[in-house]
Amino acid sequence: MNNLHGLVFAYRSNKDLRELTQHRNTCSIPFGGRYRLVDFALSSMVNAGVTDIGLIVHSSYQSLLDHVGSGKDWDLSRKHGGLRILPPFGYADALSSDYYGRMDSLAGIRSYLEDIRQDYVILMGGDLAANLPIQEIYEQHLASQADITTVVTCQNVGEPRSSTYLSSTPDGKVTDVFVHPKSPMGCESLEVYLLSKQLLLSLVDHCATHNIHSFSEGVILAMKDRLHIHTYEFGGYVGRFHTVEGYYEHSMDLLDPAVRASLFDPKLPIKTKDQSNPSTYYGPDAQAVDSLIADGCKIEGEVDHCIIFRGVHVEKGARLSHCILMQGTHVGAGATLQYAITDKNVRINPGRMLMGHESYPIAIAKGAQV
Amino acid sequence: MKKECVAMLLAGGQGSRLKALTRHVAKPAVPFGGKYRIIDFPLSNCVNSGIDTVGVLTQYRPLELNSYIGNGQPWDLDRSDGGVHILPPYLGENEQGSWYKGTANAIFQNINFIDQYDPDYVLILSGDHIYKMDYAAMLDQHKKTGADLTIAVQEVSMEEATRMGIMNCDEEGRVYEFEEKPAKPKSNLASMGIYIFTWAKLRKYLIADEKDPDSSNDFGKNIIPTMLAKKESLHVYRFQGYWRDVGTIDSLWDANMDMLSVEDGVHLFDDDWPIYARTPIQPPHCIGPDAKVSHSLLTGGCQVGGEVENSVLFHSVTVEPGASVRFSILMPGAVVKAGAKVDYSIVAEDAVIEAGAVVGAEPGKDKKDWGIAVVASNVKVGKNASVAPAAMVTKNVKEGGKA
Repeated sequence: MNNLHGLVFAYRSNKDLRELTQHRNTCSIPFGGRYRLVDFALSSMVNAGVTDIGLIVHSSYQSLLDHVGSGKDWDLSRKHGGLRILPPFGYADALSSDYYGRMDSLAGIRSYLEDIRQDYVILMGGDLAANLPIQEIYEQHLASQADITTVVTCQNVGEPRSSTYLSSTPDGKVTDVFVHPKSPMGCESLEVYLLSKQLLLSLVDHCATHNIHSFSEGVILAMKDRLHIHTYEFGGYVGRFHTVEGYYEHSMDLLDPAVRASLFDPKLPIKTKDQSNPSTYYGPDAQAVDSLIADGCKIEGEVDHCIIFRGVHVEKGARLSHCILMQGTHVGAGATLQYAITDKNVRINPGRMLMGHESYPIAIAKGAQV
Repeated sequence: MKKECVAMLLAGGQGSRLKALTRHVAKPAVPFGGKYRIIDFPLSNCVNSGIDTVGVLTQYRPLELNSYIGNGQPWDLDRSDGGVHILPPYLGENEQGSWYKGTANAIFQNINFIDQYDPDYVLILSGDHIYKMDYAAMLDQHKKTGADLTIAVQEVSMEEATRMGIMNCDEEGRVYEFEEKPAKPKSNLASMGIYIFTWAKLRKYLIADEKDPDSSNDFGKNIIPTMLAKKESLHVYRFQGYWRDVGTIDSLWDANMDMLSVEDGVHLFDDDWPIYARTPIQPPHCIGPDAKVSHSLLTGGCQVGGEVENSVLFHSVTVEPGASVRFSILMPGAVVKAGAKVDYSIVAEDAVIEAGAVVGAEPGKDKKDWGIAVVASNVKVGKNASVAPAAMVTKNVKEGGKA
């Protein structure tokens, strides 16, 4: 299938993610032992045969660029098409701290949109952990003859204050839209939209001339009666990241085999940057249970209910439970950690003790030494 | 474009002493050390040494090796100038054509490939050793001594020397004699099968050797003795460090076990000299609630519910709860089901050990019949079946059966 173009919104930062977004935007938050959130959007698209993807960035995107590079790990480093990074410099208000909304960012890349060689476009946030069957969504879009197909989950996974909900008729036609309500109403919109390139261009122009910034309010809510907007209900696992607590919870979800089966379907593999790590070594006194552990680690202490990223070293006598250790974390001998999230290259000196709580896991910022 | 040094990697060998493991793949493509294949070591050494043009000579069962190397991207050898090239034997117009007759003949048949780069030096490598070596340092020495041929050597014990090609040389490292498997070795400097030739010299000797109908067109048997006889300048390059031949089941098992001493041996965790590999896309490995893992290597996509001790697990291996794996090597996709027991064994790709089966055993008192058990790729060992130590299983073993 080559008639679908991918656009990934990779600029949204979220203040409630505290230390996790200090050095990066939401899309490059490490997740699941070896991935960055943007891997899910890129891989879902590539697995559906999408060959051309635009990545819309705005600020703190250095970490994201390091990660995606030329796109070769997703087979997106192409002479014709492939991955295009779209920074804000084609945009009149480039110096503002961020885009006001998705329509705003699309207006900034209008000339890119005109040159899209496919007839259909899928829009998706780069901060969604889900293995979306985009081929199926595309087929449903064509079959339903909808103007816009929007993907929803009825499991309510995000913070209501930051989410949009849709109600629809039994056959899937959108009837009402609830933006940022107090509590969930109907099914949660994943803010993934599939529509034709022509319609997208006319919507971008309409919103630009009417000073409308948001897709869910300006298009879905405002045009729900004028356009045929159809939902696609996704039943698989979805992780959305609005707070540190949410990040912690979604990470721990991965210890459930059913969640892993949904996210890491071998037929639709999630691709990520290759790092040439060796296998993980377990020392003679290692005790590891109920954990997800990436390659290139040395586990010599005790590990229980943890998510451990690539290149982590847990020294002898260290005791970790319910922790997330990002890439390159070093835990010294005899240290004890509970309900902690250590960002990249954090060093925990020998014998230190850090305790968070399930409802408030402590996050330790990138490169810190404790 | 001209290259100072081109590497030629001899990867055509069958590796028949690896028996069941090389039924479908050439020896250099045999999995090693949890994440690698044997050929990753010489290829990564080339890249880390600044050699960006590598010819890989294939012959036996090349399909898997070809697709593994692909465009060379995992080793940064996907280049527009140079890069990695697969070189199978070929036919020319009005030529008889043939398989590669010997190591020297394989290079002879690819003189045109080498000439394209007009190199000053050619590095000859083989695909059956595990080691890290800076070929640039060896090349420096080759240039400094002005030798026509530099041979990498390693000190071995006198007992081992009787089984290897031994270089006898003077104090300055000039070789005056080469002995293949001498009964009474005069020195303990064994050839590692790594050669740097000055290309103009080697080219001349290859052409002359090809004209000799009695020659077996082999570096060790023909080219080196002839060059010595003609008083060319041959030097040894002394290599110190980890170097293991993995040509037999026992040596392959041993070298894999060496990888468990992560700081010694080939030191895979060393960032300064990474070994690259083409790795399939796999999520992190997962350790179950009742798992016990110690002194072992685990790789992406593994699911471990049982006990794993002193073992090397490649990607996507499953060890179910209640199963036990000790002193063994489980290659990609191998499955050990509940209650099965695997000791001192090599279980090849996608082989399945059904519930309650027993494969291999600890070395007992009677060491005569003992050895590493091997279960070949895609073989199924049935429920409660048993595979004896030293057995080589290439066909399915039925439920309750013995092999």
